[in-house]
Amino acid sequence: MSSAPPPRPRLVARLAAWLQPSLVRRLLLAQMLLLVMLWLLFIGFLLYQSQHDQSELVQDQRYEMILRVADSLADHPERQHQSLSDIDRFQRDTEGLEDEPQLRMSMLVRQGENLLFVSPRLPATIRNSRLGAIEKLPAGGKTWRARSLASPRSGVVVTLVKPANAVNVLLTFNSRGFLLLPLLISLPFLALPAWLSLRLALRPWSRVTQEIAARGPHDLSPLGFAPRHRELRPLVTNLNALLKRVRDSAKREREFIADAAHELRTPLAAMRVNVEALKTESAEGLRQELLDGMVRSGDRASRVVGQLLSLMRADLAPTHASCRVALAPLAQDRLAILSSLAAARDVELDLEAQADCVIVGEYESMVSMLDNLIENAIKYSPAGGMVSIHVARQADRTVLSVSDQGPGIAPQWHGRVFDRFFRTPDQTQTGSGLGLAIVKSAVDRHGGHIVLATAQGGGLNVTVSFPSPEPPEPAP
Amino acid sequence: MKVLLVEDDLDLGNGVRIALSGQDMEVVWVRRLADALHMLESTPCDLVLLDLGLPDGDGLALLRRLRRDRQTLPVLILTARDALEDRVHGLDSGADDYLIKPFALAELLSRVRALVRRSYGFDGDAIEVRGLVLHEPTRRVSVRGSPIELSRSEYELLGALLKRVGRVITRHVLEEQVLPGQIGSESNVLDVHMSNLRRKIGEGYIRTVRGVGYVIDPVARDKAAGP
Repeated sequence: MSSAPPPRPRLVARLAAWLQPSLVRRLLLAQMLLLVMLWLLFIGFLLYQSQHDQSELVQDQRYEMILRVADSLADHPERQHQSLSDIDRFQRDTEGLEDEPQLRMSMLVRQGENLLFVSPRLPATIRNSRLGAIEKLPAGGKTWRARSLASPRSGVVVTLVKPANAVNVLLTFNSRGFLLLPLLISLPFLALPAWLSLRLALRPWSRVTQEIAARGPHDLSPLGFAPRHRELRPLVTNLNALLKRVRDSAKREREFIADAAHELRTPLAAMRVNVEALKTESAEGLRQELLDGMVRSGDRASRVVGQLLSLMRADLAPTHASCRVALAPLAQDRLAILSSLAAARDVELDLEAQADCVIVGEYESMVSMLDNLIENAIKYSPAGGMVSIHVARQADRTVLSVSDQGPGIAPQWHGRVFDRFFRTPDQTQTGSGLGLAIVKSAVDRHGGHIVLATAQGGGLNVTVSFPSPEPPEPAP
Repeated sequence: MKVLLVEDDLDLGNGVRIALSGQDMEVVWVRRLADALHMLESTPCDLVLLDLGLPDGDGLALLRRLRRDRQTLPVLILTARDALEDRVHGLDSGADDYLIKPFALAELLSRVRALVRRSYGFDGDAIEVRGLVLHEPTRRVSVRGSPIELSRSEYELLGALLKRVGRVITRHVLEEQVLPGQIGSESNVLDVHMSNLRRKIGEGYIRTVRGVGYVIDPVARDKAAGP
């Protein structure tokens, strides 16, 4: 026994499974990308706006109001400064900002060279070269936009200043906390509902996938789930059409084989009867031997034809009427019929059957299974050998086992002997290679198991087991 | 004995005709349903060998017509159709036996003989195998000329085996049809009767196929001869 596998490969495998391409993830990523793009577009628009929106700097009334205040309080410098400071705070407050000139509109008030007021922390060196025009001015290591107007009464000059750097817009967002942050925070939160909604929306799709995954490899019946969705309907319709085509062509093929096999029976019968009639006419030893050879070849051809027919019939009618088949009398019947073959080969038959063994299944399928198992055993037995058949109930299963004293089948061929027309290379007997394929087909159709083993004394032991049915309701 | 052979295949029909003629049977061979009907009306015969797929109709139609006219003429169907429902259908339509192509000539001959024997109720006819004689009308059994007393059950068992010489009669058939009501599921009544029967007729006639049933071989099995 090998030790338990280390946990890492399993983790890697799970990661690899998770990293497999997924439509849901693809859709989710597309949605998130779209969201980020929209958001970037919005930010770009804001940046553009901030660069070109100079509305506050061209509001002449604002200048007028400040100049009027400065003029009217020119005689009371303290009250003048106090009022200008109030206005500055008001401007600051309307924008909701702290005392950082980089983030708000600031102002300078001069009278000649005399600085009447400057917003806190604003470089006092900002000065327009022309009145009434917006200029970009460097000061204190930064760039500013500024516009100045002078009072016609006193020559007081008011300069309104806004930062000209684009970065501050982003900082504005940050400090305002109403654009950047919610988006950054909401992105992962949006992903979960998006994922859930995608899963929900793709449920019909998963139902189709589940149904396809759940069916067996031989199930060619149409899908039971008929989606009403426009996107899925063509898929399911086309799939069903494809299944029908495959089904029909497989059916035609089987019918063709069955018909061909059927048609071969009459000429085979004619050949056999003619040869046998000839045999009674001719007494010569050598001629008898040759005629015997012809009969044997005819028998072989007949057997293949019969096997092909039973195989095709089994494939053709997958849901045949099931009945309770009592295994012991059936085994007796089949052995009785095959006992002439056993007698001809000088093989002894031995049946040991428990009386109450029952299988629910198709009668004919059971018959061909038994026939092929027993015929094989007889065929490969040496002269004077014994074929033992056991039928018994073991726990909840009905078990049939057939043992011979022949050469057996080497273990390396156990996986392949059920293939149609497969014959082991060291074969000495004639045969078609269909017998065990028929047995396997019958076992599979009845939910049984088949096991090949070496019998006591070296022959082949084939054991098939089926689930025992519930005992029938006792008659009232 | 006159046999009507209804078979459309040339080679098969001819082969069967020659083979049966070699066994002292008179064979009338027709290849069409209409000819068969005509022949049945004009010529009395002892047995019909009937193929089912005929060019001008289904052989079962002829069979049904025979049975409608209450004719007891034995009919043996020769056919390539071997599905269970086909066989059941054929036998339900009134066939006495059913042989699937391709068949061995010996099988055909033994079934033909058995059918004819059955239809004539063994009148005056005894079954004889290697010196063992069973005379049905008088229910007498003798071995190499000396009469033997058998119980009713033993007689029935021997009769069942002798009527189908060479074929293994299964235990369950013997239990259910020959000794009805005598057998519980786990009893060995059959084995007891058999061993008594064997003791009376002597060894060498009845062969046991263990677990399966019993058979009387037409020719003694010689183990040394080999296959």
